[in-house]
Amino acid sequence: MEETRIVHGYWELSTFNFNIEARGINLMLEGFKEKKLKGIKCHQCGMVYLPGPFYCRKCHVNIDEPVEISDHGTVRTYTVQYADIRGEPMPEPRVSAMVQFDGCDSWVMGVVQCDPKDIHVGMRVKIKWKEQTVGNMQDMEAFVPE
Amino acid sequence: MRNVGIVGVGYCPRFVSKRTDVCIPEMVSEAVEAAFADCGLGPEDIDAVIFGNMHPFEGVNMPHLWAVEHMRALGKPVMRIATGGTTGMTAFHAAYYHIVSGLHDVVMVVTFEKHSEGDAQVGLLGIITPEAMAMMMAGIDLTGAGGMGAQGGGSAGAITYQAVSWMHKSGATIDHIDAIAAMERRNAARNPYAHLKDPEATPEKIAKTPMISYPVRFGHVCPTTDGATVCILASEERAAKIADKVAWVWGVASCASDPTTGNLIEGLITDPAEQRQCVIAAQEAYKRAGIEDPKKEIDYVEIYNGFAHQTLMYLELVGMCEVGEAHKLLEKGELEISGRLPVNASGGVVSTNAIGTSALNRVTECALQIMGKAGERQVEKEVHKALAHGWGGLMQYVSITILADKPKKL
Repeated sequence: MEETRIVHGYWELSTFNFNIEARGINLMLEGFKEKKLKGIKCHQCGMVYLPGPFYCRKCHVNIDEPVEISDHGTVRTYTVQYADIRGEPMPEPRVSAMVQFDGCDSWVMGVVQCDPKDIHVGMRVKIKWKEQTVGNMQDMEAFVPE
Repeated sequence: MRNVGIVGVGYCPRFVSKRTDVCIPEMVSEAVEAAFADCGLGPEDIDAVIFGNMHPFEGVNMPHLWAVEHMRALGKPVMRIATGGTTGMTAFHAAYYHIVSGLHDVVMVVTFEKHSEGDAQVGLLGIITPEAMAMMMAGIDLTGAGGMGAQGGGSAGAITYQAVSWMHKSGATIDHIDAIAAMERRNAARNPYAHLKDPEATPEKIAKTPMISYPVRFGHVCPTTDGATVCILASEERAAKIADKVAWVWGVASCASDPTTGNLIEGLITDPAEQRQCVIAAQEAYKRAGIEDPKKEIDYVEIYNGFAHQTLMYLELVGMCEVGEAHKLLEKGELEISGRLPVNASGGVVSTNAIGTSALNRVTECALQIMGKAGERQVEKEVHKALAHGWGGLMQYVSITILADKPKKL
């Protein structure tokens, strides 16, 4: 069968400049500096978001009430990762989870430092903060069992 | 309102990892020719063309215009649809709307994906580019071992969280995921248009495939496929003249929910297994189709299962059984081709995934079962009504189509 000719393509045509609403994530990162979780609460329905949007997804009203959220929470779902995004084996299996922090409605994803055998839905965890926090996602070093 | 029916289905000759013998428009052309051959129509009979493809996967932004001659659409209205995994079904719905509105009588849906020419992981990341960029700026390592990489894997990363949450709620185990994956591979072996086929597949064999991210093994995951599918729809008046066997559209519905993953900037990230949009879309489709009890009235189901656990999870969410019941139906053999509630006799998306076609293939496979044209994969029971499910968007969009063997009473 006659093969088609393959032309190799590589995209580097331009730089894109996306505008995003970053107030919620900035509030969260500011909180990280003090080792605190800061979200936004809807004054109408009481929903607490982390990071906070500046409108309520349920009520469709503008919201702007910052709330401090506990850095202790419950594992709602988890995985133990053996391969990376390209399918290459990880040096060590990595446990990660979606955690619902106490008083918050959003679930937050992160690495859990625990034995893969111990992770389970309902497990209580807390944030292990870096010693020096700078207002960056890396400040949240991991979730660890309570 | 008027009735609309499927009169022709066409697949490219094979769905495989790499079609190096054809370029994109040529592969599209194969499926168009197959659909014309199936129903005896030609280009002159087609009023409009709906084109479905996810452009980030190939990096071709206007494939419908590139392929306009190959799909015999010169001089006709052409519209492209891209809604992620649901693309094929949304394109089908658009064709249905074209006809049900009375504006057109015969409309062709053309879908393809040619994954071998692009990069699926980049395509999946590309659906949320601004948010992905912002997350990286804020210090999240999306791709490597340093941080919250699981959410960087597109649907494959976040799906592990979905699978664990669903298992927790339903009581199913990883053994059930192995078993449903094995069933789909065996079913695929009967389908000449399936990609990953294994007539000898067993749960034990699947369980030996490497664990990617618990509970998702290599054997639970869809391939990246090259393929094209075409479906021709017609108004009731025209359909009666075109085809002896018609699969009639009784109800269509779609629903979007909040982003369950990925949208760190403004979203409320919650349970990826909740998939409330699926429940809403299914209920709406049943209402439009006049179906009161889907468990009794629907004979056959095609579920969009990029990952094996989703067959069972979505069966529950579309209301074909109760939550926690799907894996028990599987244990009893009821989901098999010979069973009481056959599901994915085609092998599903987990066996064949040319993404632009995948949700349309759910519809066309239901249509072939209703028409009795499914060949070796024809289920044993009679199929009067069937449900096709599509899953896509940012993991938060679901489409439903209900087909039947008779026109709906209007």
